[in-house]
Amino acid sequence: MTFSARSSGRRPKTAGDRLRRLLAIVPWIVANPGVELVQVAKRFGLSQEELIEDLNVVWMIGLPPYTPDALVEVIMEDGKVWIHYAEFFARPLRLSAAQGLALLASSEGLLSVPGSDPEGPLARALAKLAGAMGIDPDEVVDVELGAAEAGLLHELRHAADERTEVEIDYYSYGRDSRSTRRIAPWRVRSTEGAWYVEAWCHQAKDERVFRVDRIAALTRTGARSDHGPAEELSDSSTFRPHQDDPTVTLALQPEARWVVEAYPCTVLEEASDGVIRVSMVIAALPWLERLLLRLGPLVEVVDEGELAGARQLGKNAARRVLRRYEDSSCA
Amino acid sequence: MSKLERLLNLTAVLLDTPRPLTAEDLRRMVEGYPPPGPSFRRAFERDKDDLRELGIPLRVERVPATDPPIDGYRIPPEEYYLPDPGLERDELAALHLASMAVRLDGFGEQEALWKLGGFDGPETAPMAQSVASIPADPNLIPLFGAITSKGVVTFSYREAVRKVEPWRLDFLRGRWYLTGWDQGRGAQRQYRLDRIQGDVQLSESALVGEVRPSGLATGHRRAAWELGDEPPVIVRLLVDRRLAPSAAHYFDAEIARQDADEGVIFSVPVTNEAAFRSFVLGFLENAEVLDPPGVRSRIAQWLAALIDEEEGP
Repeated sequence: MTFSARSSGRRPKTAGDRLRRLLAIVPWIVANPGVELVQVAKRFGLSQEELIEDLNVVWMIGLPPYTPDALVEVIMEDGKVWIHYAEFFARPLRLSAAQGLALLASSEGLLSVPGSDPEGPLARALAKLAGAMGIDPDEVVDVELGAAEAGLLHELRHAADERTEVEIDYYSYGRDSRSTRRIAPWRVRSTEGAWYVEAWCHQAKDERVFRVDRIAALTRTGARSDHGPAEELSDSSTFRPHQDDPTVTLALQPEARWVVEAYPCTVLEEASDGVIRVSMVIAALPWLERLLLRLGPLVEVVDEGELAGARQLGKNAARRVLRRYEDSSCA
Repeated sequence: MSKLERLLNLTAVLLDTPRPLTAEDLRRMVEGYPPPGPSFRRAFERDKDDLRELGIPLRVERVPATDPPIDGYRIPPEEYYLPDPGLERDELAALHLASMAVRLDGFGEQEALWKLGGFDGPETAPMAQSVASIPADPNLIPLFGAITSKGVVTFSYREAVRKVEPWRLDFLRGRWYLTGWDQGRGAQRQYRLDRIQGDVQLSESALVGEVRPSGLATGHRRAAWELGDEPPVIVRLLVDRRLAPSAAHYFDAEIARQDADEGVIFSVPVTNEAAFRSFVLGFLENAEVLDPPGVRSRIAQWLAALIDEEEGP
């Protein structure tokens, strides 16, 4: 489900969109008499021509009987603007629930980034805004973008901004292995509650996405990088299967339905007893092992596809893990 | 006479009036309407919809001393005007940056910033590119509205209808959660927004007035293994050295940890053993539950059952 971004347009066209903006611009000019038109245009993200066109409407506004003394007065002189007799538009329209939430969530989110200043301008703005809305922000909304060490995030951002390469000690969860990689980052971002760095990886000779909380150590190499993203940056899923990754078919009991929501997969069939058949691309074997161990009797590999031995995978993993429990269960 | 002009005049007249005005009053007072008849009524309906869509609090009230009663309209200024939060220039700039850096798309942040006075800072600030996008859930806005207006909501969750006093919203590990007082169950509960079935409805019922526990702010950090009704058990989990740093991210600061030869031992309070088992098995052979013995042996049994399982068809 997505929301339509009705008010995000740079060039509002409809009367409703222009009204939205005017109801914010007019109070601001009333409160800042004699402000320069170029300032107003910049502040509210429109061209001077558009601004003048909109202000030309404002001066037709007034109250009955619309005699000149009951009309709003707009004066534009020497590139400056004054608005008089607009008491009814002296304050902007209050924030909608969606707008209030959006500002609170963005601010809380950015303040949760390790290394942000808990007493800086953003924290003060958040407190004032919440105060105007009559709520205590700490008690109403909280946004955690993900755990990461402040120093590490800073280093990665620095590398992305400066286009320099770093060497990382990385634990790959999917492959359950640790390696040292030389990477050229271009973006650090948070998606689905965790921080990621998008980079060119010299070991893989390809683009890779690394989870920041799995980077154990980082060193600057000082080397410049001319690698950039092949495609346009997007907030797409962090999971990018390769074409030659194998596909398996799993049967999930109803209690394991969350798997469908949590991981990329294709639902093939939903039986009347609630059992769901899905096909999944398996980029790394340990990942499938974990899924099989965690779900236990709630999952069955019904078609190994190109992944020969997939049925045995869960059992073999269970044997390995069980070894850790054997000594003391005898005791 | 443009539509924009008519809407501006309509808003001005409705804000200025102390008493409700009828459609006919407005037709006469606001320039640009067609003569009485179906085309006026259509234009007036569209204008009302436009104002409401903008979030303008258009009230419908009975006009005093009319019989039969006639609907009148006005905009109460106290509901329309944004109280001035008194933002300093640097604070407004910080808000502007935050809304660019952390996006909740489609929620009208741009317009919200206009209302607060726009932004005149440099075009490209260091954080100006998006660093995070937060997924929007269709029920976020009604829930936030209910929290700020101290209302009660009803919704379907796990095939049952819940009546809840909403307290707070948390975005944690990529998901939105609601914490509130479940009136039917008489207890504090937490819900995942993506598991709410259908739409959240505002309920007419009154608040039970349950006292909100203070310090709820830490309650939201609860992990899956804390979201259960089982009596709490402290489980000691040994995580091998190389994975201990990533495991630590899952635990609150107050969870005790102790260095051992092989790795780090975390003492974790668990009220949902199945969820904790699932978490532990995610570490494969790189972690083990040390005690209590019951939890440890049940994990071993779970694994043994997987090995003994008959070969599937």
